[in-house]
Amino acid sequence: MNRLHPLGKLLVCVFYIVTVASFHKYALSQLILMAVYPVFGFIVGELSLKEGLYRMRLILPLVVFVGIFNPFLDRNVLQYSFGIPITGGMVSMVTLMLKGFYSVLAAYILIATTSIDEICYALRLIHVPRVMVIVIMLIYRYFGLMGNEANRIATAYKLRAPSQNGIHYKAWGTLVGQWLLRSIDRAEMVYESMLLRGFKGDYVIPRRKVKPVSMIYPIAWILIFIVIRSGLINIF
Amino acid sequence: MHTGIHGELLKIEHLSFSYEKGQQVLNDVNFMAHDKESIGIIGANGIGKSTLMKLLVGLYLNYDGVLEVAGHQVNKKNLNHIREHIGYVFQDSEAQLFLSTIEDDVAFGPRNYGLSEEEVEKRVTEALEKVHILELRKKQTYKLSGGEKKLAAIATILAMEPDIIIMDEPSIALDPRNRKNLITILNEISSLKLITSHDLDFIMDTCERTVLLDEGRIIADGATKEILSDRELLEGHGLELPLRLQ
Repeated sequence: MNRLHPLGKLLVCVFYIVTVASFHKYALSQLILMAVYPVFGFIVGELSLKEGLYRMRLILPLVVFVGIFNPFLDRNVLQYSFGIPITGGMVSMVTLMLKGFYSVLAAYILIATTSIDEICYALRLIHVPRVMVIVIMLIYRYFGLMGNEANRIATAYKLRAPSQNGIHYKAWGTLVGQWLLRSIDRAEMVYESMLLRGFKGDYVIPRRKVKPVSMIYPIAWILIFIVIRSGLINIF
Repeated sequence: MHTGIHGELLKIEHLSFSYEKGQQVLNDVNFMAHDKESIGIIGANGIGKSTLMKLLVGLYLNYDGVLEVAGHQVNKKNLNHIREHIGYVFQDSEAQLFLSTIEDDVAFGPRNYGLSEEEVEKRVTEALEKVHILELRKKQTYKLSGGEKKLAAIATILAMEPDIIIMDEPSIALDPRNRKNLITILNEISSLKLITSHDLDFIMDTCERTVLLDEGRIIADGATKEILSDRELLEGHGLELPLRLQ
């Protein structure tokens, strides 16, 4: 999967998320079929589900929280299952959670199998404005820098305050200020380094050849999504 | 890019610079440098060594005096030309490496100068071979050791084939083996080299000419052996003899 052209992977990811988001709030059975793409991505991309869930641990609770109040708002009974009433709110809650979960998984598959440079290259190919692509790239770089700085500051603090549990609330203001200032300094150095190596506001990414499989891949998936979305396949 | 320019590559005349009014960092500096020279810039902390280097690459433009790199006056209009001639190896190699893998990072400069992919590939391979880390080309930059990062940072500059290479404290944080390796590599590079360092033994091993700065002025400019063996001169300006001469 890593060898596929990034444009194909980006298109599949975007089309998948749009398709998933477009399902009706009660279309749970069709939505379950859309799991075929994440399952394929994790198997063929040789990705670890455990590691994937660990990396997405911050965003997944938010996704699960979406629609949690639906059962209280929509009490219209759609059907009885083993004598238990299944309300519209319950179905729409699960649908919303699945939509969020699938979208996060699709984005994870894209990120795990494609480098940021390749994603940005693909974005440029579909004519996303240059400024936006550069901003995405720089944000990606600077997140790393900020993470490193935060780690250094936290380590230095812990080593000199071993008896404390975490960082004392009185120190937060100073530390955050220091963190931002140091991150800005480092970001400036990186930017200077880029300027000194001929950076003129645009990343030059080498063109990649499009192999037949890279064309078949998005076409096949987009067709599958259309078939599932149109309701031609219904397992329930 | 290597232009094959011979003779005078750097010309500094009556150069003065201050970050803020009244705080003069460089004061009437005069200095010439020629092709293939290797020059050590020494001085105590905070006397303007790094500032001088940054002026040369056009990171600060509000200076007074004459500052020419490869025949181009350092000003906004000429920045692209100047930066094609000059490569700067930062003190902090981490700031220099910002792409995912070493080969991507080394290729960043040549690609920005519009070279073909074949030429970029050739430059990357040659630069990595010169610093003896060709086998690391696919390695993620964040996984490198301090010594490897320094060598990779030098490779990013060598790939641009500059006429002038500026290095800010290149020996800092290197273990003895990496330091020795770096000395060998630097002595193999034929471009004009300007090396700022507090490691005077390193300067002795890599530079035939040394410039001593203090209070924003050039105090001495001459043969490295003479300057670095002058205890009185060094101690009078916040430095000490190299360890091997003590």
